Amino acid sequence: MPDNPWAWLAIAAMGLATLATRISGPVVMRRVRVTPRVEAFLESMSMSVLVALVAGAIASGGLRTGGAVVVAVVVMLALRNAVGAMVSGMALAALWSALIV
Amino acid sequence: MAGLAGEAVFTARGILRGALRLGPIAIFIIPFGIAYGAAAIEAGMTAAQAIGTSALVFAGASQFAVLDLWDESMALATVVLVVLAVNARHVLLGAALARWLNGIPPVQRYIAATWISDANFADTQKAFEQGERDVAILLGGGLVMWVAWVAGTAFGAMGSANFVDPSRWGVDVLMPAFFAAVVAPGVTGSVVMGAAAVVAAVVAVASLPYLPAGWSVILAALAGGLVGAFARAR
Repeated sequence: MPDNPWAWLAIAAMGLATLATRISGPVVMRRVRVTPRVEAFLESMSMSVLVALVAGAIASGGLRTGGAVVVAVVVMLALRNAVGAMVSGMALAALWSALIV
Repeated sequence: MAGLAGEAVFTARGILRGALRLGPIAIFIIPFGIAYGAAAIEAGMTAAQAIGTSALVFAGASQFAVLDLWDESMALATVVLVVLAVNARHVLLGAALARWLNGIPPVQRYIAATWISDANFADTQKAFEQGERDVAILLGGGLVMWVAWVAGTAFGAMGSANFVDPSRWGVDVLMPAFFAAVVAPGVTGSVVMGAAAVVAAVVAVASLPYLPAGWSVILAALAGGLVGAFARAR
């Protein structure tokens, strides 16, 4: 299919929609008074976003992803090195793929 | 954790530091980009369109979601709704970072916000809570991820079809493993955070079959946030 205006229009629309999602957080928060309770909300929400992404990944990826996450958490708690933890989790997943599937 | 005494700054050195912090992760983004580039060609995009999408959108999950529907008969409104649904969590990420973003001048603030993604959010949020004050690390981390994502897409879109399967090297678990590592000390270090994490995980998984893509993450994040807010009241 050759270049056509519909495709580029769709791509531009995707870009603008995504830009709007990225900009609106700080814009909205300029109008919110950050009380200690709001701050507590934001703090545990920001952790919860990441937990939700991990939980969703395990739900769709199954035991292999779950095992990788457990390894990453254990390595992180032991060494306090996020990149090392991430690589350990990936190593388990790679090993899993090589041996089991 | 509550103290926000230090002032937020934005420096050129911070951009470089952010890029170096996320460099090791960005390398592993390249195979995802390759997979996207190849899938985009498969779905009927030209190479220029695939690369343009990665450069302008820079949000993998939403890009893959749109590929599933990619067809000239698809309404533009549908494209926009899918992208908004999958990327709406950026609003929450930006709100969480606003404490620091809104402390710098508007031009730098919105340039940095334009490169918000899950990975540099995870890294920056953690760094800020540990006393970092340079908001530019968010931009630096975003830029290095963006370069890897666009370059990977270009390889995949222009290269031959035999691209690397990310799952073979465990690269597909990159993001969950990194996010889990980032939150692990906080989640295991406080009862409230632990409870919020459990609530968020349960809500995320339980709502997955009932909500359009992306929304279960938002619902879970709000639920986890409420746990924190109510705990503070006691």
